Amino acid sequence: MILSPGAFLRVGLLLLLAVVLQLSALSQLTVFGGHADLVVLVVAAVAYYGGSVTGCATGFAAGLLLDLLTGTTMGASSLVLTAVGYGVGRFHEVRDPSHGLLPGAVGAIATACWLVAFAAVALMLDIGARVSPLVLRDMIVTVLLNALLALPVFTGCRKLLRPSLAVDPMELRRRRRPPREAGPLGLRGLEI
Amino acid sequence: MYDRKVVRRRRAALAVFVVLSIAILTAYFGESGGGFFHTLQRGAQEAVAPIETGASRALKPVRDFFGWAGDTIDAKDQNTDLKKEVQRLRRALAEAETQRRDAGQLEALASLHEENYFPQSTAPVNARVIAKSATVWYSTVKIDKGSDDGVRANQPVIAAGGLIGKVTTVTGGTAEVRLIADGQSGVSAQVFPEGVTGVVRPQVGNPEDLLLEYVESGRRVTENTLVVTSGFTSSRTESLFPRGIPIGRVTKVDLDELETYQRVHVKPFADLRRIDVVQVLTRRGVAQQAASVGDSGG
Repeated sequence: MILSPGAFLRVGLLLLLAVVLQLSALSQLTVFGGHADLVVLVVAAVAYYGGSVTGCATGFAAGLLLDLLTGTTMGASSLVLTAVGYGVGRFHEVRDPSHGLLPGAVGAIATACWLVAFAAVALMLDIGARVSPLVLRDMIVTVLLNALLALPVFTGCRKLLRPSLAVDPMELRRRRRPPREAGPLGLRGLEI
Repeated sequence: MYDRKVVRRRRAALAVFVVLSIAILTAYFGESGGGFFHTLQRGAQEAVAPIETGASRALKPVRDFFGWAGDTIDAKDQNTDLKKEVQRLRRALAEAETQRRDAGQLEALASLHEENYFPQSTAPVNARVIAKSATVWYSTVKIDKGSDDGVRANQPVIAAGGLIGKVTTVTGGTAEVRLIADGQSGVSAQVFPEGVTGVVRPQVGNPEDLLLEYVESGRRVTENTLVVTSGFTSSRTESLFPRGIPIGRVTKVDLDELETYQRVHVKPFADLRRIDVVQVLTRRGVAQQAASVGDSGG
């Protein structure tokens, strides 16, 4: 990602919008007890297109914003979202995946990691109450909803961040050609 | 290609943000309620409150629509004109439903005050929920009334049916309410008419089933009895709630002879998953003073 004032502004606005939307609307739209979690999806999308360093910085900022506005223990969300952002960014850097439906899987896995890790941190820090098994149901619903939402959210984030990205992922995908299956025998199977 | 410099930069960035998070976490736990991070939180909440209020109002039709969107599947085969007509009627219905639900909640709130056992030395301040916590581990809601309206920290908050929580932080125009389903919540309570006391604690993730704990096995609690705030101060929980606010009804009693305490399941009167309108029970003087200041100012 190209670090410019424009990039900071875009990511900042994106995070603020995601957190406000999450708190004002999505948290109150419950489906079978669970609700979609836009903040982790946005962090995952920025990390996916921007890389691991951008991912962990975005995760930290998103977590801090979330903790500031919800009045919960400060630093807990930052810690977990930093790790989620870094993980998604590293996955993209190492594997360089190109399948069009991958954001759905990445969004679901990032959400699952966020929910489980945040639960662990919350339980270690200041939750002394009993935990109902229904928590698991809520988590599963959130993961499923986020898997559905991931594709549009990732597409929206990519379009918004495109001017600041070092390499446009769509352009990269277009340039990739399938291996040759015809022509001289020596060239078959090679990406030329 | 393996670039040592890039790897070092990446690891350093991760380490910096993780250490920063842990440092904030440690400092937050170490400081008092008036410390830097708590003040920063209050400031940020106050600054963003107008945006949240606006977003909450703007998105209310979406939320209302979502609530009954499942019923729209049957309309698929109707022609275009009929669909438009149905959509118009549905919008009207959603608004009417919302108004009816709000009216129902307000009516129930009003009738709650007429009960004999309800504490009379309070002045209720009506408020609307504008934001809700994003995780199940912290059950908090933000309301659109704050210290300017007489709301203060630790005041009890009720919704249609009964107690839902207490005010934790207050800014000028908003307040944060920790619900009784929050993992950190504990309310001293008493069972009517037996008079047995205990502490109402939540089960995280299941706001419809609270637990009345620390009830002695010798004292018999029966199902369908009423649970209200006791107003007692005990070593387990200092009750910040006035005596007599209804919490819920006993649904089940676990009688385990091996345990010293019996566990009583309580279903709260208020629907903690869907709260739109609440009342903060301020002390009479504070709310009236704030109201008179507001009147004279406006």
